[in-house]
Amino acid sequence: MRELTLEVGWGEVFGFLGPNGAGKTTTIRMLLDLIRPQSGTVRLFGLDARRDAVAVHRRLGYLPGELALYERLSARETLAHFARLRGGPDEATVERWASEFDLELDRPVRALSRGNRQKVGLVGALMNEPDLLVLDEPTVGLDPLVQRTVHRRLRQAAAAGRTVFLSSHVLSEVAEVADRVGLIKDGRLIAIERVAEIRARAIHAVEVRVGAPAGLAALEGVAGVTVRERLDDGLRLEVAGGLNPLLAALAGLDVLDLSVHEPSLEEVFLSYYDGSSR
Amino acid sequence: MLARSLREERRSLVGWSVGIATYCVVMLSVFPTIHDNKAFVKIFEAYPEVFRKLFNVTDFTTGPGYLGAEIFSVIAPMLLALFAILWGSDLAAGEEERGTIDLLLANPVSRRRVLLEKWVALALGTLWLGAVLEGTLGLLGPLFSLSVGWAGLSAAVLGSSAFALAFATLALAVGAASGSRGLGRGVATALAVASYLLSALAPMVSAFQRVEWLSLWNQALGHQPLTTGLRPANLAVLAVVVVVLLALSLWGYDRRDLAT
Repeated sequence: MRELTLEVGWGEVFGFLGPNGAGKTTTIRMLLDLIRPQSGTVRLFGLDARRDAVAVHRRLGYLPGELALYERLSARETLAHFARLRGGPDEATVERWASEFDLELDRPVRALSRGNRQKVGLVGALMNEPDLLVLDEPTVGLDPLVQRTVHRRLRQAAAAGRTVFLSSHVLSEVAEVADRVGLIKDGRLIAIERVAEIRARAIHAVEVRVGAPAGLAALEGVAGVTVRERLDDGLRLEVAGGLNPLLAALAGLDVLDLSVHEPSLEEVFLSYYDGSSR
Repeated sequence: MLARSLREERRSLVGWSVGIATYCVVMLSVFPTIHDNKAFVKIFEAYPEVFRKLFNVTDFTTGPGYLGAEIFSVIAPMLLALFAILWGSDLAAGEEERGTIDLLLANPVSRRRVLLEKWVALALGTLWLGAVLEGTLGLLGPLFSLSVGWAGLSAAVLGSSAFALAFATLALAVGAASGSRGLGRGVATALAVASYLLSALAPMVSAFQRVEWLSLWNQALGHQPLTTGLRPANLAVLAVVVVVLLALSLWGYDRRDLAT
């Protein structure tokens, strides 16, 4: 990790976005005082991450990226153990969270699927409704329904004034819940942006098919649009800086089919590297 | 965490307890054939001096002499030490190797508290096994016409337990500072054996005699505790060693980056 300066405020969902191995987990484990920075400081709630670790952890919920649980315990025993160490919540609350995530409490952890283990970790992090949630790749292995539950809970937490710090290597996940996003690559924070701005800057791959191909010529001069490939009845395009100009131009055409692909993470990063040299 | 640690080890504790008690009963059941048998006395008198010293054979036909040679000469202290070293090496390094330490430390507990509570569980477990050893020998001994004073027996058991705890704490310290269970186990086992050999061979090897005091085995068991009873000075040495190693463990663990 190099030169990372970052502040996250109350009531904010901050997304930490980068490819695997970029340094997301390293940064998060520094927040938890599992590893220490060689220089610089980590402060949470104005407290020192190392010296005041116990006080910090009292107000924090954490989901590790490489979640390892006690194999011999059941989910119930695991959560009860952490609840005892934290001074709460009571068993009824744990059961409420478990049923919300459709988690079976009484099976031993070693018999649980990846997704169910992840649910144990999530309930453990969320059950105390802590002031700060630090979640490393929270929805890995979860089915879409549970992912939506998680996202809803995170937005609720932020709405209640709590702070969420989550990492992901998937843009759509971060875009779904985060207010601001930090882009991290090779241990460096290369940009902090609002989600809307990232979307606007991102390059979309667009494929359009029309009834009257003659009209396609009108698209070639549109701002931000580059033609990648010509088809018999349409075009494959790359669109930078928002889709509105293209959509306006399409309005006059007989559009049969239109598909817009979410930009991949690599493309998002490329747009930032290009942006800095432009 | 203390209760959790003891629960986690409960199967292992039961297994070891049964094993040690069984071993004791087997050894006790042989005693009546040796007891007051003049032929055995002659056999052992015919053994070379070196052999008798090596295996702590003093007077085989009395209760304390028999236990000293058969139970406390090597097996019982080493069994306790092995049990405790396995646990001690796992104490810090185990959760780190398995990756569960991340979630545990995310709770409002300090690394020091985690280690201390787990160590207390280990100490209680070791004392428990010592109590099994003492109870089996002391209570069942008379059934096999073996009588041994509780004071002597307690001194030998306490010495064995202290020896075990010292090397378990060494295993903890190495594991806590390195994050490796294997390293903790290896170093502690090697030094425990070396400590025994130094003490056992000292009567025969003059070079060892001068450094015999270095051997924790010698401090714990080198003075015939079964017949001479408890020696507070020796136990104090062991206690100091344990406290120093525990402090080193806490220091080593607290300052380190924990592995994923």
